[in-house]
Amino acid sequence: MNLVTKEKRTFSRPMRLLSALMLLGEDVIKVPVFRCQRCGECILSHTGFVCSQRCPKRLRNGPCGGTGEGGTCEVYPERMCIWYLIYRRASLFGRLKMLYRVEKIHNWNLEKTSAWLNVFVKRIEPPKWRVPKGEGWEEAEKEGPCGDSNEGSCAGEVK
Amino acid sequence: MSLREKIAAGKFVVCAELGPPQSCDDGVIRKKAGCFRGVVDAVNITDNQTAIVRLSSIAAGRILLEEGVEPIVQMTCRDRNRIAIQSDLLGAAAMGIENLLCLTGDHQKFGDHPEARGVFDLDSIQLIAAVQQMNAGSLLSGQFLKKAPAFFIGAAANPFAEPLEMRLIRLEKKVRSGAAFIQTQPVFDLDQFSRWLELVRGRGLHEKSAILAGVLPVRSAKALEYMAREVPGMRINPRYLERMRTAAEPQEEGVAIAVEIIGALRAMAGVAGIHLMPVMWESITPRIIQEAGLMPPEAPAPACAPCAGEENPINP
Repeated sequence: MNLVTKEKRTFSRPMRLLSALMLLGEDVIKVPVFRCQRCGECILSHTGFVCSQRCPKRLRNGPCGGTGEGGTCEVYPERMCIWYLIYRRASLFGRLKMLYRVEKIHNWNLEKTSAWLNVFVKRIEPPKWRVPKGEGWEEAEKEGPCGDSNEGSCAGEVK
Repeated sequence: MSLREKIAAGKFVVCAELGPPQSCDDGVIRKKAGCFRGVVDAVNITDNQTAIVRLSSIAAGRILLEEGVEPIVQMTCRDRNRIAIQSDLLGAAAMGIENLLCLTGDHQKFGDHPEARGVFDLDSIQLIAAVQQMNAGSLLSGQFLKKAPAFFIGAAANPFAEPLEMRLIRLEKKVRSGAAFIQTQPVFDLDQFSRWLELVRGRGLHEKSAILAGVLPVRSAKALEYMAREVPGMRINPRYLERMRTAAEPQEEGVAIAVEIIGALRAMAGVAGIHLMPVMWESITPRIIQEAGLMPPEAPAPACAPCAGEENPINP
C-alpha cells in the first residue's frame, strides 16, 4: 500500500497561475455546495460528497473516538461530527463501501491548488463514481492506490 | 515473556495505564512502576493526554523498562508531523521500546495550551500503516532502513460512540492496516459492549487482533458523573451511577464495580484481555487484579504505597 503521493514537486509558475484560475471556478461550485476547504486532494467521491476536511482534526479516514450522543463534534459541541454526516450521507447514497478505503496521507504541496487540475495532470487519483460490487475492503485493496506504479495505470479506473 | 508472546500464546492479558508527571521528576514514574511490576503484563504510557504537557511518553517508557515493567508507548498525531513521528519512533525502537499504541490524539482545545496549532498531519489509521511500513523496512518517503524496528502495533476503539457501523468500518481499517491489539474505551455499559463485540466477531476481527477491553475504577460518584458529563464518547449505565451515589464507602464500591465488570468481560468470547485505567489511582491496581483473580501466581508483593497528590479532576 502506498501511503503518500508520488508527486512531491510543487507547481511551476505558469501552472500555479492556471491552478489559481481553475480554483476560482472550482470554488464557485465546491465552496457553497460542499463547504470545500481547498485541500487540493479531493476525496468527496469517497466520503458521500461531504467534505471531510471540515473536521477540526482534518481526519480523512473516519471519526475520532469523541463523537458525542446524537453525533455531535467533541471539539465544537454545537456542531455535528463531520464523519457522522458522512456516514449518514454515504448510507443514503449507498456508498458505505467507499469508506473502507485507507486514504493517503495528505500532500501539503497540494493545499490551495485546484483539485480538478490535479486530477487532469495526474497528481491525484480521479474521483471514483462507481461503488465497488464486492466487499468494501477487498475492492479497496484490489484496486490499489494510484500513482504506485506508472501514472498511466490510473486512467482506466474511472470507467 | 513479552506482551506480543503472551497474546500469541492466548493468555488473558492485563494492561494498565500510567500518566507521566507534569514535571521532569522521574521518581514519580519509578514509584508508580512499583504498583505494576509483576502484577500486570504491560503498562500504557499516555502521550500528553487531554493535550496537557507532560513528560514525554518515550522517555517514560525507557524509565519503565529500567524498572522492569514492559511499556506500551502511546503515540499521537496531534503534536508531530510525519518527520517527527518517524524520527521519534526510530528513537523509541533504539531504546528498546516494542509496544506502540497509535492514536489520533485529543484536540488541543481540551488541554493547557488551547491556542496551540494542532498538527494532525497523519491520522491514527495512517500512523498504523506508516509504522507497519517502517517495520517492513522503509520510511514513508520510501527511504530504506538499514535496521528496521519491530513494533507491536496497537490501536484504540470506541464501542460506545454512534454510529456503530462507522466504528466498525474504522476498526476494520485499523486491523487491516496492521493493528495487532485493540484497546477500548472504558466499559461502563456491558450491553452495548457485547453488542459491539458481536459485530466484531461477525467480521472476524477478534481473530486478527486481540481485543483488550477498557476498565476504569472510579473513586467517587463525582468522578463518574464528571465522566458521564464531560468526557466525549462515554456511555455509562445509570445503574453504576446510582450504586456509586448510594454507597457508604464509594472507594470500596468503585473497586467492586471494576471487579464485577472484569468478571463479566472475561466471560465474553472474543475478549483477549483487559486494559485497566486507574486514572491517577495507580495504587489500587494490585488490589483489583487480586480480587478479579488475575494475579499471576509468582507475583511478588507489590511495593505500592498510595501516591501522594493523586489529584485529578477526572478521578477526585
